Amino acid sequence: MQSETPPNDDRSSSEVVLDRVTHRYGGFTAVQDIQLEIRAGEFLALLGPSGCGKTTLLRIIAGLMRQSEGHVTIGGEIVDALPPNERGAGIVFQSYALFPHMTVAANIEYGLRARGMPKAERAGIVERMLALVRMRDHAARYPRQLSGGQQQRVALARTLAVSPKVLLLDEPFGALDKNLRLGMQIEVKRLQRELGITTVMVTHDQEEALGMADRIAVMSEGRIEQLGTPEQIYDRPRSLFVAHFVGTANLFGGRLEREGERFAVQLAAGGRLQLDDPGPCSRPGQVSVSVRPEHLVFVPPADGTINATVEFALPLGPTVVHELALDNGDKVKVTLARTGGHAWLAPGTRTGLAVAPGAPVAVFQA
Amino acid sequence: MTPAPVPGEAVVLRRSRLLQQWQLVLPLALFFAAFVLGPLALLGYVSLHADVSLEEASLTQYTKFLGDGFNLGVLGATLWLGLKVTLLTLLIGYPLAYLYSVSTSRWQGVLMLLIVLPLLTSAVVRTFAWLVILGRQGIVNELLVAVGLFEMPAKLLYTPAAVVVALAQIELPLMVLPIITVLAGIDPNLRQASLSLGAGSWRTFLRVILPLSAPGVLAGCLLVYASSVSAFVTQTLVGGGQQMFMPFYIYQQAIQANNYPFAAAIAMILLASVLAIVVTVNLLARRMRGVVHG
Ligand SMILES: Nc1ncnc2c1ncn2[C@@H]1O[C@H](COP(=O)(O)OP(=O)(O)OP(=O)(O)O)[C@@H](O)[C@H]1O
Ligand SMILES: [Mg+2]
Repeated sequence: MQSETPPNDDRSSSEVVLDRVTHRYGGFTAVQDIQLEIRAGEFLALLGPSGCGKTTLLRIIAGLMRQSEGHVTIGGEIVDALPPNERGAGIVFQSYALFPHMTVAANIEYGLRARGMPKAERAGIVERMLALVRMRDHAARYPRQLSGGQQQRVALARTLAVSPKVLLLDEPFGALDKNLRLGMQIEVKRLQRELGITTVMVTHDQEEALGMADRIAVMSEGRIEQLGTPEQIYDRPRSLFVAHFVGTANLFGGRLEREGERFAVQLAAGGRLQLDDPGPCSRPGQVSVSVRPEHLVFVPPADGTINATVEFALPLGPTVVHELALDNGDKVKVTLARTGGHAWLAPGTRTGLAVAPGAPVAVFQA
Repeated sequence: MTPAPVPGEAVVLRRSRLLQQWQLVLPLALFFAAFVLGPLALLGYVSLHADVSLEEASLTQYTKFLGDGFNLGVLGATLWLGLKVTLLTLLIGYPLAYLYSVSTSRWQGVLMLLIVLPLLTSAVVRTFAWLVILGRQGIVNELLVAVGLFEMPAKLLYTPAAVVVALAQIELPLMVLPIITVLAGIDPNLRQASLSLGAGSWRTFLRVILPLSAPGVLAGCLLVYASSVSAFVTQTLVGGGQQMFMPFYIYQQAIQANNYPFAAAIAMILLASVLAIVVTVNLLARRMRGVVHG
């Protein structure tokens, strides 16, 4: 799968390059033919369902496991033969893996000691790291005396202390509850900006990837399905898999037809959708059309529109999710911003559906 | 749908659960009382008499033991033997346990068989095996003479070193198994975290793996120590009576000299010494853990 953003000509600005990396566990191929360039200072998210090979790829970059085929380049140097401690990649594990028998300060100091840094210098860095992750008051505590979020910050500080060229995060927020997660996401993003450190984050949470990353690589079954900015991934998914995995997608079956300069889709469930520039598939024929729930609007029911019956409305804080049934029984979700008062449709209401003007619609070959 | 809680129901429930727990422990507790505490109390009772017919209660057996240099020498030799055996098993056992923990599962099967094999044969059989191995016409001597290292078969059996080596082999599983258990419980990510932070394999071992395996080492040492100071058969047969240890001393006083009160006192003193050592080491370790494990 190729990138939608043009490949960077200036090789020196690519901090990490994966060149046709493949990994097999016995006979099972966990990661297949991965081609990926991560730019200096970039925040890249590896997004994909469980078991698609994200952790494997991250461990290969860190040097904790050796790929079966292909090469890894970090900072312009091929590092395939280098052990983890000589690669300049720092990894934060999902379980944090803090040393339970050491205090917070000793954990942070660990990598500096291993590098034989003099004591005075170490103390300065530990102090700075503690301040950076706001853990100064807890320097003398042991990991088991910390909350999940605090442990996570210590793990981050421990890795950042050795100034890695690349920061690798494996599901860093997986163990945190929802509120804490949001706080930590903001904090990590702030640190990453401040330090300008090249970062690769593994996650299976699409909101996390969309919110934090400069670019996202969506993975499926060991391959990269699509690489692009969050907008590209969300608005112009290149495959049904991406459309489904990232965000929620309504799928309509139909026939793509040419109408002079423009296109239209005659939907199987009735109704017609006008499209200026269908993609990624623009060949007339049977297609699936994917529309985000927030890109649909209610219109008065008429002959040309998609007609549906409201089954229920779910007011979820700032938005209201409607579930509707098309005339052929297919379900459709529509999300509306909540605008004060009781602004949603009652169950049983018959309504027409249209795509909001200018909203992206993806067309896939059926 | 759930019925409203009746006041006191929880208490009844808790009480019945408590009762059930007690009932489960009861057979073991009875067994323990009948076959451990009972005999021990009897032993204590016998040791507190001056004469064999148990008519005159006194502390003379204890003062007799503690007032005699020979007796104290036997006690010292026994406790010292335990220490040497413990150190030797630790020296062999830790690397073995570590090897096990880093092996693939197929090799783990082979290693585990080798480790527990000694447990599958009785201590008496294993002791006789050592007699065969170390004797004048034993395997070791024949080999050393054949190779030309010795001109004559050397005296290997009936030496203090032979006792230590034989005991170490026999007690090895008690050291290895607890260490294997604790090593298996260490999060493998800790090792990887250490490596990726820039530490080499040795530093990772010394700073992370070794401190975290301390509880298993402690358990193994205490088991081996307690077991080797009281290993009557091996001490006696491999040692050949060249040096007296407490278990044989007890046997001699009880069976050969028929001096049951004195034998009982020796047994109580051995028990108390080992108990004191175990408790002290445990206390020290707990204080250490304050440093090591926080
Ligand atoms: N040591 C191993 N031996 C054999 N197969 C493995 C091993 N480790 C991982 N796999 C397999 O390789 C595939 C990719 O694993 P990986 O851990 O990279 O997935 P992941 O994308 O990180 O998933 P998750 O989101 O659940 O962490 C999985 O199907 C997994 O079963
Ligand atoms: Mg994973």
